[in-house]
Amino acid sequence: MVAFTNHSGGIFKTNTGNINFFSHTPVEDITADNHKVKTAFDGTSGKLQFSALIKDFEFPKALMQEHFNENYMESTKFPKATFSGLIENIDAIKTGENGTYTSNVTGKLTIKDVTKEVSAQGTFTVKNGVVNAKTTFVINPEDYNIEIPKTVAGKISKEIKITVDADYRHAH
Amino acid sequence: MKKPISLLIVLITLGVILYGYRAYNKPHTDVASTEAEETISASAIFQAFDIDDSTAMVKYSDKVISVNGLLLSRDVNNKNEPQIILEGNGYDGFIRCGFKPEYLARLMALQDSTTINLKGICMGMNGSDELDLLADKDVVLSNCTLIE
Repeated sequence: MVAFTNHSGGIFKTNTGNINFFSHTPVEDITADNHKVKTAFDGTSGKLQFSALIKDFEFPKALMQEHFNENYMESTKFPKATFSGLIENIDAIKTGENGTYTSNVTGKLTIKDVTKEVSAQGTFTVKNGVVNAKTTFVINPEDYNIEIPKTVAGKISKEIKITVDADYRHAH
Repeated sequence: MKKPISLLIVLITLGVILYGYRAYNKPHTDVASTEAEETISASAIFQAFDIDDSTAMVKYSDKVISVNGLLLSRDVNNKNEPQIILEGNGYDGFIRCGFKPEYLARLMALQDSTTINLKGICMGMNGSDELDLLADKDVVLSNCTLIE
């Protein structure tokens, strides 16, 4: 008897994925979290997609959150960041069997209507039908038309670390 | 004359520092103690975003709004932010409402298919017609509190 249905293939989805971003400078560390990231992947083709609301990134300090949304991200005008890409070796990831797998993920990241190719290695851990995916990659705000005023340039890194952590379940 | 001027400069400097300190450390909006700027049904706010996302963002985003609608389900998989889902447009559009973790027990006690009244900060509509796996839409509220 199997403990859970073998769902290799099919769509895996969550609306509660986590994305954290982290900026480190000698002056200040800045971090923010979004816990309502919508993301899904196709267990057969490897297609992987994300959609995150910019305003839903919560900062420890309200003032930082205001500046992030109003001055840098213009989040009322550009409300979402999206990613559309591919898990390269999806065939090796047995979503119906417990185990840990790694794969490169490549695709297009869109922030403020600017789309750039990104690539990162992801770790996929299957446990009792839930597929946890974790990855970390770095982006440069200037690549996405995010202008940092000179007066605060020393406080915001040119290398923003993005960490993704999402638990996918088979979508019925 | 020198002393009063020096004192004035010191007082102004202290005032600026105090203002800056308070602005830097100002707290996040306390939704529970903030009066909602608008009361709207779940289906009406979903429709507003579905028809014209840009106009709805200007009208509702960043504001504390009160929403009432039918509870479809709870999504408590993310311990950082337990969530409930209200019906926005049948089984195609939803209002996703995020709460602080301490709300978990109260959310678990809610009955499906009952009308829920809550307040939260509107973040916008998630989902995208350009992403075929994420075409279902959620109007998202954060830092929600239940209105008894």
